[in-house]
Amino acid sequence: MIVCENLTKVYKIGHGEKKVFRNLNVTIRKGQHLALLGRNGAGKTTLIKLIGGVEMPTSGKIRRSMSISWPLGFGGGFQGSLTGYDNARFIARIYGKDYKDLRGFVEDFTELGRQLAAPVKTYSSGMRARLAFALSLAIEFDCYLIDEIILVGDQNFHRKCHEELFEKRHDRSLILASHSPDAVREYCDSAVIIHQGQLTEYQDVDSALSIYSEL
Amino acid sequence: MAAQGTAWQIQKRVIGALMIRELTTRFGRENIGFLWMMAEPLLFATLVSVMWRFVRGPDEHGVSIFAFVVTGYVPLTLFRHVLTRSISIFVANGSLLYHRQIKLVDFILVRFLIELIGAMMAGIFVGGVMYAVGVFPMPYSFGWLIGGWMLYALFCFSMALVIAPLSELSEVLEKIVPVTTYIMIPVSGTFNMVQWLTPQAREYIVWSPLVSGVEMIRYGVFGDAVTPYYNIPVALGSSLLMAVVGLSLCRRVRRTLVVE
Repeated sequence: MIVCENLTKVYKIGHGEKKVFRNLNVTIRKGQHLALLGRNGAGKTTLIKLIGGVEMPTSGKIRRSMSISWPLGFGGGFQGSLTGYDNARFIARIYGKDYKDLRGFVEDFTELGRQLAAPVKTYSSGMRARLAFALSLAIEFDCYLIDEIILVGDQNFHRKCHEELFEKRHDRSLILASHSPDAVREYCDSAVIIHQGQLTEYQDVDSALSIYSEL
Repeated sequence: MAAQGTAWQIQKRVIGALMIRELTTRFGRENIGFLWMMAEPLLFATLVSVMWRFVRGPDEHGVSIFAFVVTGYVPLTLFRHVLTRSISIFVANGSLLYHRQIKLVDFILVRFLIELIGAMMAGIFVGGVMYAVGVFPMPYSFGWLIGGWMLYALFCFSMALVIAPLSELSEVLEKIVPVTTYIMIPVSGTFNMVQWLTPQAREYIVWSPLVSGVEMIRYGVFGDAVTPYYNIPVALGSSLLMAVVGLSLCRRVRRTLVVE
């Protein structure tokens, strides 16, 4: 379970401040596949960063009783000047995994071939997505935090993600921030909308999507 | 995280991984690779001591001028590098904070350790070569030498613990740290010994932890050829105080840190 209690996040901008959300409460159960909906700048990425422990809430608490992946998104998690292999080695070291096993899985899942020996900054966003997913799947988490990135892959990548994340690891939790109704319908079983600093929960993905489309 | 070992094991793994990562990004795997980390202190210590040899002659107050400059310059490069490298350290490493087991203090510790190891390797190398050509004595006491070095290094690390979070709070620091470390050279013990001063001035100068460190290092190298002046309680106390302040600043900065 992940329990967010009264989360408030305020960013300082110059002399002013920007309240992203205040007193937000949400609980993610084991095995729940939650969609985060919201317009650009509503705070989806911020919430994912708070749950992932990348940034700290201004006030409020997050209780985590399962292992959570780092946020899989376009930025962060990688060192651009290092190669894909170096990044894999680094991840293996800090998560205490055997590099040989992890390397095999990454080569297999990403199908990046010789590109893995090139610096990550030369990768396209689709290639980054492959690497990020491969690494986090190789570590094995109870809950995966996914920020948009699932949409950038090609058909083959989608098929693999589906297989690894939704068939083999169906019991895991998932938090997916996305603007795509199709992805949300395909991957999620519940949804929340963040709008004007407030979070509303919906048990039914379709009703959430129809409200979201009218925002 | 519990499944991945105790907190201590995790931190050890993280420190190791970060060190390898830092060495690869900074020095690469080409030519001499990570040996570059001792290149700068080595060049400084060697070239400055050669320069001083020609300007001032073979001896400085009765001890070899080569050894005198090396015992001052190797610590000084540690001090200056550790401080300058701790500026904006959180921004530079921001993307690593995506992994929850990595803490802000790890970044500071890793850069400090790299500078420390580099300076030590340089010191041992240049000292060894100079010993072989007869301008560096066999150290009188390794205990004093290592003790002084540790005291000096501890102070550098505590300074870094304060400067790293402060540089996050104010950009002015980036401009003033390099000049401050330069201005501090007279109170760093690098180019002079306390015994050369008047008794009254001695009382004040030993309040500098850097001076205490270098004095002990030099006593360890030259033995009774020099008279060291130092104040260990002040050096230890000020280091610990700064470490506490630095750690609480790090905690505070972490709460508001924006990670891209």
